[in-house]
Amino acid sequence: MVIDLKKCIGCTGCALVCKAENATPPGILWLRVVKHETGKYPQVRRVSVPLQCMHCAEPPCMEVCPTGATFQHPNGIVDIDAELCVGCRYCMMACPYDQRFFLSAERTYFPGHTTPFEQAGYQRHQAGVVSKCNFCTPRLQRGLEPACVANCMSRARTFGDLDDSNSEVSKLIRDRAGYQLHPELGTNPSIYYLPP
Amino acid sequence: MQTENAQEDLWIPTTCGLCYSVCALKVHRVNGTVIKIEGNPESATNRGRLCPRGVSGIMLLYDPNRVNVPLKRTNPNKGLDVDPGWKEITWEEAIDTVAERLRKIRREDPRKLLMTGTVTTQDEVPFSRFFTMAFGTPNGWNSGAGNHCGTAEHLYGALLHASWAKQPDSDHCRYLLNFGSGVGSGSYYTVTGMAQRIAEARLRGMKHVAVDPFLSPSAEKADEWIPIRPGTDAAFALAMLNVLLHELNVYDAEYLKHHTNGPYLIGADGSYLRDETEKVPLIWDPVDAAAKPFHSPEIKDFALDGVYAVDGQRARPAFAVLKEHLAPFTAEWAEPITTIPAATIRRVAKEFAEEARIGSTVVIDGKALPYRPVAVMYFKGAQGHKNALLNCMALELLTEIVGASNVPGGLLGMNSCSVGEPETGQPAWIPKADRDGLMITGYWPSFPPPYPPKEVRATETIDLRGLIPTCPGSSGALPVVMADPKRFAVPYQIEMNLHLGSNYLMTFADPEAVARAFQNVFQVSFALFLDESTYLSDIVLPAASYLERLSHTADWMSSNAAVGEWCYHVRQPVVDPIAQRRSVCEVLLELVERLEMREEFYAFINLLLKLKEPHMLDPTRCYSWSEIVDRRYKSVFGEARGLEWFKKHGVLKWPKQAEEVYWKPSSSARVPIYFEWFKTLGEKVKAQADEIGIELDTSAFQPLPEWRPCRAHEENSPGYDFYAIYYKLPMQTFSGTYDNPWLDEVCQTNPFAYGVAINASAARQRGIEEGDWIEITSVATGHTVRGQAALTEGIHPEVIAIAGCGGHWSKYLPIANQDGKGLCFEWLIPVGLDNVDIPSLTQDTCVKVKVVKATDRGSKRSSRSSRLNDLNHLNDLNPG
Amino acid sequence: MARTEPFQIRIADLRERYRPQREWAEGRGLLLILAHFFTGAGAGAWLFAVPLGSDTGLVAGFFLAVLGAVGHLFFLGRPERFWRMATRMGSSWISRGLVGLSLFLVTAFLYLALLFLAAHTTTLGSILLALSMLGALWTIIYKGFVWASSKGIPLWNTPLVPALYIAYALRGGAAVLILLAGLGIQLGAWEPLEPIKLWLAVSTAVLVLIYLEVMRGSGMTALRSVNLLLFGKVALPFYLGAVLLGLIVPIGIGSFAYLDHIPAGLLALVGLLSLLGDLSIIYCIARAGLYRPLPT
Ligand code: SF4
Ligand code: SF4
Ligand code: SF4
Repeated sequence: MVIDLKKCIGCTGCALVCKAENATPPGILWLRVVKHETGKYPQVRRVSVPLQCMHCAEPPCMEVCPTGATFQHPNGIVDIDAELCVGCRYCMMACPYDQRFFLSAERTYFPGHTTPFEQAGYQRHQAGVVSKCNFCTPRLQRGLEPACVANCMSRARTFGDLDDSNSEVSKLIRDRAGYQLHPELGTNPSIYYLPP
Repeated sequence: MQTENAQEDLWIPTTCGLCYSVCALKVHRVNGTVIKIEGNPESATNRGRLCPRGVSGIMLLYDPNRVNVPLKRTNPNKGLDVDPGWKEITWEEAIDTVAERLRKIRREDPRKLLMTGTVTTQDEVPFSRFFTMAFGTPNGWNSGAGNHCGTAEHLYGALLHASWAKQPDSDHCRYLLNFGSGVGSGSYYTVTGMAQRIAEARLRGMKHVAVDPFLSPSAEKADEWIPIRPGTDAAFALAMLNVLLHELNVYDAEYLKHHTNGPYLIGADGSYLRDETEKVPLIWDPVDAAAKPFHSPEIKDFALDGVYAVDGQRARPAFAVLKEHLAPFTAEWAEPITTIPAATIRRVAKEFAEEARIGSTVVIDGKALPYRPVAVMYFKGAQGHKNALLNCMALELLTEIVGASNVPGGLLGMNSCSVGEPETGQPAWIPKADRDGLMITGYWPSFPPPYPPKEVRATETIDLRGLIPTCPGSSGALPVVMADPKRFAVPYQIEMNLHLGSNYLMTFADPEAVARAFQNVFQVSFALFLDESTYLSDIVLPAASYLERLSHTADWMSSNAAVGEWCYHVRQPVVDPIAQRRSVCEVLLELVERLEMREEFYAFINLLLKLKEPHMLDPTRCYSWSEIVDRRYKSVFGEARGLEWFKKHGVLKWPKQAEEVYWKPSSSARVPIYFEWFKTLGEKVKAQADEIGIELDTSAFQPLPEWRPCRAHEENSPGYDFYAIYYKLPMQTFSGTYDNPWLDEVCQTNPFAYGVAINASAARQRGIEEGDWIEITSVATGHTVRGQAALTEGIHPEVIAIAGCGGHWSKYLPIANQDGKGLCFEWLIPVGLDNVDIPSLTQDTCVKVKVVKATDRGSKRSSRSSRLNDLNHLNDLNPG
Repeated sequence: MARTEPFQIRIADLRERYRPQREWAEGRGLLLILAHFFTGAGAGAWLFAVPLGSDTGLVAGFFLAVLGAVGHLFFLGRPERFWRMATRMGSSWISRGLVGLSLFLVTAFLYLALLFLAAHTTTLGSILLALSMLGALWTIIYKGFVWASSKGIPLWNTPLVPALYIAYALRGGAAVLILLAGLGIQLGAWEPLEPIKLWLAVSTAVLVLIYLEVMRGSGMTALRSVNLLLFGKVALPFYLGAVLLGLIVPIGIGSFAYLDHIPAGLLALVGLLSLLGDLSIIYCIARAGLYRPLPT
């Protein structure tokens, strides 16, 4: 995936459409947007940077996972099999991008009340396990783009095949000097950012 | 997915109702439960995308804190923090009570009824307006937008762009000079559509220069950020005009001659010279060296400069008068006012002048059109000041002088001109010229449009908009007049407020003062939530949200981007109203019957919804809400495309033609660059005000721009050394979305959403560190609000910036009312005519504050509580 | 303040540049700290008790390790699936650790059973003892690697951490035995422990210093973490627990022991304080763990 920081306006729509699509419970933010400021007044730059699982090609989270719950799909997407996860949270310590969330107990957005939406959606989440972004794998299986890509209101996100050098994403990375976060860690993330 | 054994799995097209952008939705319903809200890719409005609010609508629909049953107040005392003591009643009882009240008022004096609404519901409020018109009251208050409203800006929308709002031409603009508007960054009109278009423009290389005290969400995306002292944007603009006209000598003479009143001759008294017979304005033809009526076919050329003698009178073209007027406003003059170096002002002016490419053309749809790829944007921030009318004028003139108004690349009215759908030729509106050659809007969301000027009728309304008809939006005078109508010779008092979900206590100014004005009014609220303003209600009715109701039209002129396609939608319920919630429009129809005002009401509907035979309403029978909606659609889009068609298809769209988007070159209507009629209007207002005996400073009714200081600029009280400003967030709409737990969550991850942005060095000088609780005390109201400091380099050192409209205190909003959920800026700004721009009735939002580190953590309200206790105590003493 | 729930604190953390890890230190995360401490000290005690021939030491070591294992178990979000954790020996230190710990617990239990039946001098007994010592060693070694393999937390992500944890586990084990001795529980020959203990205390102190010094130079995040330990919110438990109680006092008393005989009560105190110190250091290093800033 490529995220164009020049286009992104930091609206957090992606964070919330992720929530809507995946019905993640309170405090589970598979996607978040942070602000990064550099410079001194009045020469200041503030950039919004959306963050989610980087789907590392060399995922440290998978390496440390003692159960095999964290696994890599053949297409490179790093996913978690909630049925296998024991909730040791080792992966949370291993992920250099701080992208994993542990659901300590079942909870709802309105304390003491479960909305019909949550009733329907929370069946997908069990307490006591770790979860994270899976690039909307169920949507991909239906031939759709990840929700954050489909909804981004500045069209800052492009999804595609990094291995194909002719794909839109590969071109963008080439033409606009796309970069990964913390490349020095050798994780080889699948999310590239285009400079603001 | 849980849809496997579903009996029902539907995608329902409708429209979002969480802000005035009215994006098209596709709502996914499975077994009766809404599980996803997506943007409808069919629609040109949002092209399949939604903002964070839009996708979070599910949480609004199912929020257990919503009002679900009719309620009546049991506590006779009213006050900001006084619990009304809600008691559940039946709809029957509620309607009976309301109808009885209304009947009584209508008998006595219908003007005693006020309606307060907000702009986020582009269906219920306009429809309720028909109700109040038929009822017989002129009183309505666009209170939800309140202080967030563009007020004076909308006036110039009408006068210069024939539209409520405007946008840069995102397809062609190359230089966007933005005085703090949120265009393209998640607020302002057509949020989702413009976010996409402006993002494209950024990639295309459009330079965006943001003039803004704060590196706001919009300024963050700019190529250059120029921090400015709040409320001084007009000084910057005047200096730019000065550089353009006196240093660079850049202006679009052709445009000024043919599309503005620049060549109109102005006499010594500041008025037009008019010809004897037709009484129309004169121009000077330099070829024939003669004055001629502006529309004379014999004109060979228009003089923009010079001094001429016409019938013994000394006359000059308006443009020359303007130019001379601008002479003192040099960049050096502006520097100490704005804190922006003169060199920067000159550079920006030069860039702007060059990029305007005066004289160049571009071919669009086979037609050569002037190409002026520069636009000046501003909105609430630059205009919300004591000098709103003249501030906006200065900012607008930048666009006009270089001829970048409604031409390719420039500033475009948001749908000034519509030739209609190809099949029916409807809906159609086209700006036209009045006798003076000046433009009248083709369409205006309220009635009538600001120009030609309405008559000055002092006693008509409760908000001074009768006396001062130039205010197109939310009047800052309403709470003042309502508190003491006699002083303004208003011969009645507001007795009842039909309150449509606008949280006016938190969106206007000093909540305490506003509450005082409303305390003695019988208030009936159609509410989603028991928010702060419902603390003053007597009856609260559970309203259906946008996902639970049908609307006569979810669209309005500014819900489509200026470029692209025309697009009309439907708003239909995606689930039946939950619990006892009801659609406001349906309840109003019931009230119409109860009050036996069907005849008047239908007449207004026929007129204002432009219903056509055979779809006009016949007062001898009674129509259901969906019948009316159906007739509306059929009247506009033909027999085949009634409500059923729209419910099924969701979207009707067709491409815009170049002459709709870039209508100015082919329009004969001129726009003013010299606002001659302001002066005459001001004189009339003054005369009436004197007659009533109110002191009113009408000096700002003048034809040419000027910068005047706000009260805050002249405030020198020791310790009050910060200006407080407020700005909009992409994840909240006014105050109404703060109880949404999803939006709350993302706000918590953003340091500025709930915090107070403060310059890092300025903060540290005062011992304030990141996350510290600080107290902000307004010199003007004496109120103190509390919040957590968010230190940043990206803010003018004299300024603190508060986002959105948080700081709720209603105990019925358990998510929004917690500590650390933002601040309510309105506590800082006072209510009063001193704080209002008289010609536009714009509320001044410029205020000086004292900022100190709080000695304890938490509660934005602790410092208010003693005051509130006093207030409640007063209430106890004088109930009613 | 309304935001007291751990998940609410986590949301607020997300806007920080340097976000603390909380799952392995706060709330139920405390169980994990205790678990690491008890299994370490237990395994260490076992290792020392064998050469010293202290049966009480063996029993104490075993039960401490059991306590630790229970802590580990209940720290899990899904304790009932704990056995799955043994399935990734190839890559995961937790898997490896679980195997080591299980080996230790099972063989130690069986050995103790034989001991109880006075049948421990058999060949089976010897094999079990050898295996249990292997398991104990394994347990002591793996812990540090679990932390050190956590790529997300630069403070831990260094080979010094395993060394530190081994030192602490051994020291803990010795401290358990000293505590027992101090409490007047008959041990075998406990005297040789004292110099070892002292040596361990001094070398751990040196290791901590080296560790902190190295981490100060290992990038902004680790520096921040060290600052948290030395001057920040973790400074109190660090100075009071890890440094004063855990190092200075035991070293002081230990040196004193060379000169004179130490009363039993004081000896128990040394043991207890050392243990508290060990617990503190594990806790402090966990609490000081910060994630790298994002985006850069
Ligand atoms: S939705 Fe798009 S524009 Fe908004 S924050 Fe996410 S990536 Fe940025
Ligand atoms: S970002 Fe974190 S969770 Fe995602 S693959 Fe990389 S290490 Fe694993
Ligand atoms: S921009 Fe406005 S109308 Fe569009 S999705 Fe957001 S809240 Fe709804």
